[in-house]
Amino acid sequence: MFRVRYALQVLLAAASLVVAMALVKGRGVPGEVQAGALARAALVHLGYEPLGEPTATFEGDQELAWALERARPGPAGVRLARGQGGAVRWRLVFPGGGEAQVTVDGVIWSLRRPVPSAPGPALFPSMARSRVETAVAEAIPDPSAWGLVRAQSWREGGHIWQRGWYVGGAGELPSGWRRELELEMVGSTVVSWRRTVHPLGTDLGVVTGRMAELQLLRRPALLGLGILVIGVFVAAAESVAYRESTAIARGVAYGLVTATAGSFASDTLVAAPIQGVVAAVVVALLPVWTELPRTRLRFGPAAGVALAAVTLAGRAYILGAGGWTPVTPPVPGDIGPIRLLADSWAPALVEEPLLRGALPALAVPVVGWWGAALLAAPVGVLLHPLPTVPLAASFALELVLQLGLAAVARFAGVGGAVLARGTCEALVRRASFPVGSDWDRVALIGVILGAVLLLWPRRRE
Amino acid sequence: MATQARVRLLVGGGATVVLAAVALLVPVEPRFPPAWQSPTQAAERAERDVPTLGLLWGKVRGWSRVGTGWTVLWQPSHGMWLVSAWVPDGPGEIRWRIDAAPWLPGVRLSGAAAEVLTGLTGGVEQARERLGRRDWQVGESRLLGALPAGGELPSAGLLRRPVVLAVLVGLLLAGAVSRHLVPGVPGRGWRYSVVSVVLLLFATLPELPALAPMTFQPGVRPWVAELAFGTAAVLLLGALMYAGQRFPATAGSPPVGWLPLALAVGTLAGRFEPAIWLVNVAGLTLRLPVLVGLAVLAGWLAGIAGSGLRELLRFSAFARVVGLSLLGMAGVGFGGAWTGVTLAVVSAAAVERGWGTWMGMGVVWGWFFGSLWVVARWETALWDALVFVLLGCGVVAVAHLAREHRSATSESPALP
Repeated sequence: MFRVRYALQVLLAAASLVVAMALVKGRGVPGEVQAGALARAALVHLGYEPLGEPTATFEGDQELAWALERARPGPAGVRLARGQGGAVRWRLVFPGGGEAQVTVDGVIWSLRRPVPSAPGPALFPSMARSRVETAVAEAIPDPSAWGLVRAQSWREGGHIWQRGWYVGGAGELPSGWRRELELEMVGSTVVSWRRTVHPLGTDLGVVTGRMAELQLLRRPALLGLGILVIGVFVAAAESVAYRESTAIARGVAYGLVTATAGSFASDTLVAAPIQGVVAAVVVALLPVWTELPRTRLRFGPAAGVALAAVTLAGRAYILGAGGWTPVTPPVPGDIGPIRLLADSWAPALVEEPLLRGALPALAVPVVGWWGAALLAAPVGVLLHPLPTVPLAASFALELVLQLGLAAVARFAGVGGAVLARGTCEALVRRASFPVGSDWDRVALIGVILGAVLLLWPRRRE
Repeated sequence: MATQARVRLLVGGGATVVLAAVALLVPVEPRFPPAWQSPTQAAERAERDVPTLGLLWGKVRGWSRVGTGWTVLWQPSHGMWLVSAWVPDGPGEIRWRIDAAPWLPGVRLSGAAAEVLTGLTGGVEQARERLGRRDWQVGESRLLGALPAGGELPSAGLLRRPVVLAVLVGLLLAGAVSRHLVPGVPGRGWRYSVVSVVLLLFATLPELPALAPMTFQPGVRPWVAELAFGTAAVLLLGALMYAGQRFPATAGSPPVGWLPLALAVGTLAGRFEPAIWLVNVAGLTLRLPVLVGLAVLAGWLAGIAGSGLRELLRFSAFARVVGLSLLGMAGVGFGGAWTGVTLAVVSAAAVERGWGTWMGMGVVWGWFFGSLWVVARWETALWDALVFVLLGCGVVAVAHLAREHRSATSESPALP
């Protein structure tokens, strides 16, 4: 029996590794290397040879990307967001001067070269026009659709500067959208140009409206957590008064880890130190709450892989059923392995002990364990949903995740739920960060830990 | 014995009459201008008197009392904009404002509204379509369609007392812990009361978002705002129901001798420092059940905080007297809008455990009544305030008589 169980664990570890690798394979923001080459070529075309390797920064306009996806459902919207919509792009800064923005699909979005010491003879505006139009034709795919709407010239630093604003209609973008281009020339040298996109108000509004609604709906969830924290502190006072055995050292360690993770994460429920204190108190009290299921850490990551697969499949289902959910992942404010790690694990470290530990522990005497788990689900649902059309689809998807985590907590305890949530979040959030095996490894940390725990030889019971 | 009882009744009745006279007749300078009309009347007046703004107003979603008038809020079901108007009680000018979602390409105002806003009447208006906004050109002036449009509305001053609030929260936590550490006989009636009023408030939930107009935002559909409010209310009320079971009030007979004093103190506190937010509650159609529910919950919470205060001051009789007196005086002097609550907590702590919740509730009941009497001066609200206080007296009388009857039955000799 023991061997059979161990063999099943080996199989589970292998399966979770295979599924997790399939989930992260090829996901992420592409085009970093290609963007550098394209930017260099474009700057050379402007007559400037950039020096050194550029520093690449990922940046994006999340609302614009989602508005494009909403206006053009399916792969066409995603293509626009990554290409002619210019919503998701790389910024490349060359160490010797010169800067460019290139979309992840390789469209040069903006370009700026250093002002040359000898920019060529100053041109009268009428003579400069043909030079500018040549430059515009190189910057955009359909120059005939663009027209000059305003021009400006001035003298600065001994040279004549010219600036022109072009408007290009909707082009490939959805109807009602507008493209603009601003180009600058000094002397007879084009030094910069930049494209912008003006979305149609209603297309943008559906997305920003949903985001505002979800932001509003997050407040009651925070209130729910606040009420829960009050209950935790009352329970802590009682346990101290009754001299019950608590896990102080474990709580302090857990609180420190949580506070550290929170300080690197892009979005936290409250300030990271406060999260750390709350998590520390909850973990310190766990031995007091004897009705909680026993922790079996090794099953958590495998469950997390399954939950990630369900979440990603759920999004595909919403799109397939005619609804809308963002395909372009949320754009992180900053990229780095630490950010991926913190964004994935901070919610798990804070929310799971509260929703799958403290709430059931306090509510079990009144509504039973499953009743308490069902109470925790709506609170968790409102904390991090993505905007969807209809909005209820987002809640349904989050509810599935929350119920899954409740089941994990029942089977593998609070610790199992923490590992499951962290693993799931890491796999789902992987797409927001650049492609590359280094990032894949960071996303797979939870799965690898789970595999090691599953394969670790255990004593016969 | 019968003569003694009659004398006691007469003395008690006389004292009650004197206290009622004191509570009702002591001249108190009102600190807030009373509302002479309900928010519904104010909304009707705004809909009648404000010129059409060229857009759909939608339903009345909420209101709040600001200064000498009501700020009423309308929002259509798509939620793209909010129309708010401040309607003074008297014949003054109605001020209005439109807030639209930032992504909205400008709401087309009517030509008349454009003229009012630019201050140019009789000019020729020209509509101008712009990207992201819709402008009006009136003579040489241009009115940008980028919203908000309209004037600034008066805003209510914040009446925060963070120290008082922190002390009250601390006492609540202390009371909750003390009810576990120093357990008494839980009052079954109190448990039922808390559950009943929570269920009562659940039933009135569809009306309650009107009390939180800040929940409604431009760009957020009103059903989502109502859902957010409803979820928060359900969580809060659920937590209170749970706490009602876990930290029940100690059983005890109603202190009928002290309750008139509590009611009188509460009424005076309400007249002196009214709970101004109660005027918003008075604007609801279902104000009576909401008032009863809130008063019972507030009284029970005051009882818990009173338990905490009592246990904290238990170490010495002198400390108890000094502590209660100081807190009472601080509550009256610096409590502001929290005066009634502070006095309720002190009253609950000043009596024995079985009476604490009764006393807290007595003060809260009087405070609600006094506040409503001072700030909500339209007829239906005043009648409901009277019904509210009579209802409270009636429930106490029934509870007292039932208890007397039970004691008399248990003392009567058994039949052969």
